[in-house]
Amino acid sequence: MIHGNPELQLDAYLDGELDSRDTREFERHLKECRECARLRDARVALSAAIRAELPGLRAPDELKTRVRTSLRSAAGSTVSRLQWPAVGWRSLALAASLVLVAAGSWQIATDRTAREALSEQVLTSHVRSLMPGHLTDVVSSDRHTVKPWFNGKLDFSPSVYDFAAQGYPLFGGRLEYLGDRPVAALVYGRRQHLINVFLWPASRGETEGPGSTMHQGYHLLHWTTPQFTYWVVSDLGPAELNEFARMLREADSAARL
Amino acid sequence: MEPNELGRFEAIVLPHLDAAYTLARYLTRHEHDAQDVVQDAYLRALKYFEGFRGAEGGDGRSWLLAIVRNTAFTWRRRYQQEAGAAEFDEQLHSETVAEVDPESELLGATARESLHQALDRLPPEFREVIVLRELQGMSYKEIGEVTGVPTGTVMSRLSRARSRLQRALYVGQEGR
Repeated sequence: MIHGNPELQLDAYLDGELDSRDTREFERHLKECRECARLRDARVALSAAIRAELPGLRAPDELKTRVRTSLRSAAGSTVSRLQWPAVGWRSLALAASLVLVAAGSWQIATDRTAREALSEQVLTSHVRSLMPGHLTDVVSSDRHTVKPWFNGKLDFSPSVYDFAAQGYPLFGGRLEYLGDRPVAALVYGRRQHLINVFLWPASRGETEGPGSTMHQGYHLLHWTTPQFTYWVVSDLGPAELNEFARMLREADSAARL
Repeated sequence: MEPNELGRFEAIVLPHLDAAYTLARYLTRHEHDAQDVVQDAYLRALKYFEGFRGAEGGDGRSWLLAIVRNTAFTWRRRYQQEAGAAEFDEQLHSETVAEVDPESELLGATARESLHQALDRLPPEFREVIVLRELQGMSYKEIGEVTGVPTGTVMSRLSRARSRLQRALYVGQEGR
């Protein structure tokens, strides 16, 4: 025996915590020592009793819901507390994901405070969409599947494109609620990163060029065409984000001709 | 936190919700307290997730249970749920337990006690090693990670906790 305490040795032996040499040595000892053999039997019985009488517990469903809900709200507020310099450009570019939101009325677009509130919503929506099971309601890389899915769900038909050839494939879409109205959310990808696209009609047909903001560590673009107002929010690098926005605007222009 | 991280975080910690609840339940000995502790612990874990990712190859279960454990101990201190219980003293408690001789305890015992009651009466530092070893099947090293003590301490606490429980079991058997 290595130490004088047989119970310690025995427990370590039964728990499989002795190395092979000590294990062999202890097994030899067990054959010779009636006291230790008796203790072993008692320990084995104890272990069996514990497992029979003290069950592992299952977390109540109520707790599962509580935990998930609190995590999501905490994660949301963590994101909104993030300040741009704290994130760092390089990490943003690496973990790029992109939300394009085509949003809102011109009143919102021209009201700075309302716009900030909207960008908050856009960002929240982006974060929420990245959680498991929240990204898409319709999953398809075929825009002819995604576009009709919105029929009857929205009072407009969103523009849906596939930029797979340019490296921004379509993943699907879902409904969102932004600026007090339902909007279309479209999801694109960029390499391993996500791109979400949301859009809704512009109310007065006033156009607005792309505006960009850095919001809580994310990159947001927004513009208004005669048809739609768009918002883009992303942690993707600005070069790729702008490229994506340019493609979208060009596709929109071409579609109007 | 980058948004993708919440998904990653949930994938790492949510599978251990039952284990977290079990530990919290045995440590607090109250269902509602256990739920509050678990919720609190998950929020703390979210906050510390950056640190966990820093430790490459880290085990999500040990990491999470360590937070659950510390949260439960904080609660205990805050709400005095072990009111009247002496602060845990490694030496004192260990010696008390070491004195226990199963046979003399057996002969001297007059009351039969269930294993569950016996576990509840253990100091939480002993209770947790039983739960982590017997119910979660953790190694001494993992238990050490959760409880923040060296492996040797895990070994001696576990052995002494079992000796105490064994007394209850002997009494139970003798009562037939």
